[in-house]
Amino acid sequence: MPPRVAICAVAQTKYVRDRWQDRVQGMCWEVVQQVVRATGIDLAGDDIGAVVSNSDDFFDCRTISDSAITDVVGAHFKCEEKVAQDGAQAVYYGYANVASGSSDVVLVVGHSKESQVGDRNLITHAAFDPFYTRPVGLDYLAAAALQAEAFLRRFGITDADLARLVSQQRGKAARNPLANERNPLSPEAAAVSPMLADPLREAYVYPSSDGAVAMILASEDRARQLTDKPVWITGLGSSIDSFFLGDRDLSESVSLRQAAERAYRMANIPDASAAFDVCELSDPYAHQLPLWAWQLGLTDDPKRWIAGDLSRFNPSGGSLSGTPQVVSGLARTAEAVLQLRNEAGDRQIPSAKRALAHGTTGPAGQQHCVVVLET
Amino acid sequence: MPRKTRPVAIVGVGQTRHSSHREDVNQPELVHEAVRLAIDDAGLSLSDIDAVVTGNMEMFEGTHQPDMWQVLGNGAWGKPCLRVSTGGTTGSTVFCAADQLVASGLHDVVLAIGFEKQQEGHTTGGITAMADPLWARHLQTGALTGMAALEVIDEFGLDRARRAAMRYRVIMDQHAAKNPNAHRRFNLSFDMIDDLMQKSPPLVGELRLIHMCSQSDGAGAMIFAAGDRVASLNRRPPVWVQDHVTVHREETLALAGVATYDAQGRLETTTQRRAAEILLARNNIDKPVEEIDVFEMYDPSAWWGLSWIRDFLLLEGDEHLQMVERGDIGIEGRFPINPSGGVTATNPIGATALLRPLEAALQIRGDAGTHQVPRPIRKALASGFGGTLWTVLMLLSKDQPNN
Amino acid sequence: MPPKKLSDELVHREHMARFPQRWSTGPVMGKFLQALRDEKRILANVCPRCGRSQVPPREVCAVCRVEAMQFEEVGPAGTLRSFDVVFYASPDPVTGQSREVPYATAYVELDGSKGGATFWHELHETDMSKLRRGLRVRAVFEEDGKRTGAITDIKYFEIIEGGT
Repeated sequence: MPPRVAICAVAQTKYVRDRWQDRVQGMCWEVVQQVVRATGIDLAGDDIGAVVSNSDDFFDCRTISDSAITDVVGAHFKCEEKVAQDGAQAVYYGYANVASGSSDVVLVVGHSKESQVGDRNLITHAAFDPFYTRPVGLDYLAAAALQAEAFLRRFGITDADLARLVSQQRGKAARNPLANERNPLSPEAAAVSPMLADPLREAYVYPSSDGAVAMILASEDRARQLTDKPVWITGLGSSIDSFFLGDRDLSESVSLRQAAERAYRMANIPDASAAFDVCELSDPYAHQLPLWAWQLGLTDDPKRWIAGDLSRFNPSGGSLSGTPQVVSGLARTAEAVLQLRNEAGDRQIPSAKRALAHGTTGPAGQQHCVVVLET
Repeated sequence: MPRKTRPVAIVGVGQTRHSSHREDVNQPELVHEAVRLAIDDAGLSLSDIDAVVTGNMEMFEGTHQPDMWQVLGNGAWGKPCLRVSTGGTTGSTVFCAADQLVASGLHDVVLAIGFEKQQEGHTTGGITAMADPLWARHLQTGALTGMAALEVIDEFGLDRARRAAMRYRVIMDQHAAKNPNAHRRFNLSFDMIDDLMQKSPPLVGELRLIHMCSQSDGAGAMIFAAGDRVASLNRRPPVWVQDHVTVHREETLALAGVATYDAQGRLETTTQRRAAEILLARNNIDKPVEEIDVFEMYDPSAWWGLSWIRDFLLLEGDEHLQMVERGDIGIEGRFPINPSGGVTATNPIGATALLRPLEAALQIRGDAGTHQVPRPIRKALASGFGGTLWTVLMLLSKDQPNN
Repeated sequence: MPPKKLSDELVHREHMARFPQRWSTGPVMGKFLQALRDEKRILANVCPRCGRSQVPPREVCAVCRVEAMQFEEVGPAGTLRSFDVVFYASPDPVTGQSREVPYATAYVELDGSKGGATFWHELHETDMSKLRRGLRVRAVFEEDGKRTGAITDIKYFEIIEGGT
């Protein structure tokens, strides 16, 4: 039997538009110190079997982006491996590292400093193939807009519906001291924010963000030594969809359904709709919150869902409030862990026992990863 | 003994023909070529694959999150697809991740892919961008350095060092000549050593063009399966993943040969030697030269390859030079190194560190064809290199390890 | 007309990718660069546990995994511990321009630094045959008013003639 794997500590920087006062090393060191202190592990010793880092060469404008942070994650003369996708995949790999028997304790550290690049769209434009899709000018914002158009039309969700959703989510972010964008925003103000890529307005798109996340994963025996409140990883699922947007029905997501089904099977969850006390979804674009919730089986009617009680969905304000794209799923996982540890402050959902965290990589959510967490 | 929740075996491998210009294929097509060969080698279909691990260095091709586009060729559609990337070591990071995904119980059959299409960008420029932009990017010249040569020359004298490095290079080329997939095959011979030492264009210091690894287009793929699935996947004999060790080191290369100590008071050494110490001790291997049958080393240059023989095999003094001078490392020698021709012959960087265990697995199976070592191979070592002199060391075995 | 070969239909697309970039220094690297600009001084930070110097200073000592916030001046003279003479002209990713060759880069153990740390910079010398380990070298600073708080505020290192 593989050992059970727990998350023993999490730390996040405050997410900001421009962490001008630090290099990425400074951001990482801040969160590494926090999880080291919380667990009492010896960073200089042999406690940590492996470091799983999470960053992106393009957003770091640096080949081998993890070579910049070897020192501050304590990986000198140690094992360090970098996951170069959304951070939820780093949780996936960190789990595998522990469950395989390789390591008892794994330090996961993600960072991204989007302020380093002049324009995020220039970066994500380069994710498209140079022959067909780059010449027509696609980037992740444009892909998300195409997806929004297809999804909103399918369910008759209006611009006003999205504006209300964004306003509501902004209200949650205001209770999260770590959130990037915390200013209140009325539905009326959201609905007249500048159009970036029809139907996505500025307020419907996550702000450029800098930040870092760290967590400690451990096998059961070690976890009980490191914390009184281990949060168990009980389900993991991941899947990738086809590349060309025209090959996909953008109003839904096959790969998210597959990822969810795999995670729920592993966690023995036959019906997801009422299974989770709290859900933290990667929603860098506002329409993705209802779209993902629907494809995760949390609702079968996304339009009605938007109008309902959304308190247990992204109580942190979600990715929309501004977490860097690369570490978004890691940030969502950290928030879910805080909820299950009853450490989420003003955004706490009372007596949360089981949570879902989600991350996504690629244009219009091509790849998804779902993490089920339990106390 | 290394700990492992369940045993893992390699049940299929595939690699493309490697070349400076694979203009006949685009990136996903190149990847697909290796994937198809690995699937066929294992006697499987894509539907048998539970998950995919892939890696490359995206700055070389200038493609952000390249796994998105590559899903057209890598067989990952509808599956978990993990992308790991650690520079030159990427291929071995892919190897380790695939092994762990299977050993963890998450997946039974995992496809591991490394790829690079160096032709589609500027390799040296791409590597230079690893240096810190505030204090080092204006200085670095990719992975080109003459400092490794300087060390060997200081220790053993100019003439002996130069001859040993060039002899190493000629042996590698002779191996490459036997490998139809190898990129560079010059038909070098030992009587050309004096000529090469003078006429090969200098790149950096004593590092000449002939010493340095190639820039190749190519891909490799390996299929990993849980031990209990191996009996039903027995098209070819399984090769067991006995162990692997990853050792990174700090960001700078700034230590000048002065002994320093780590936080436990252990003498700092090279990552190669540290990885070998851990791996060999953990697997009760006292005399690696006798107990291991073949070594596929990531040798980014003849100088590095030459000097790392000493570290990886825990040798002292000039034993490594003697091994090269005696021809021990030749395919028919006492301790064959890189019967494939190694990295000075073939270097699609994101694949390179995966091609090492891939070639080692072929040797254990007896399937290396014209570059098969002509004696039984039971244990094989493979290494990856990258970052700021990082090392991954992998141990493969014909016999199922009892861990 | 003979039938077309596959290779006749292959097409190349040329593309030059450029991304505007802006780098923060952080407090540690910032202190180092500011001292270069304002005082023509080279600062190392010293690990409180093992005592080794790091130059340029980094946020932590990688060996001991602790913050190193104590700074000491080192150099501007030092000893050449290793070097590269570069003949291959590669692009400078900061400017995109191809570099002029040959040039030399040097690993200099600056006077006063501890633990064997060396500082990497350009070495200016027209006669490359002079270069050997153990040479005495010194930093040459950009003139007043032209320093910008960049590593290139040290223009280069040069050999101290007759230095021992």
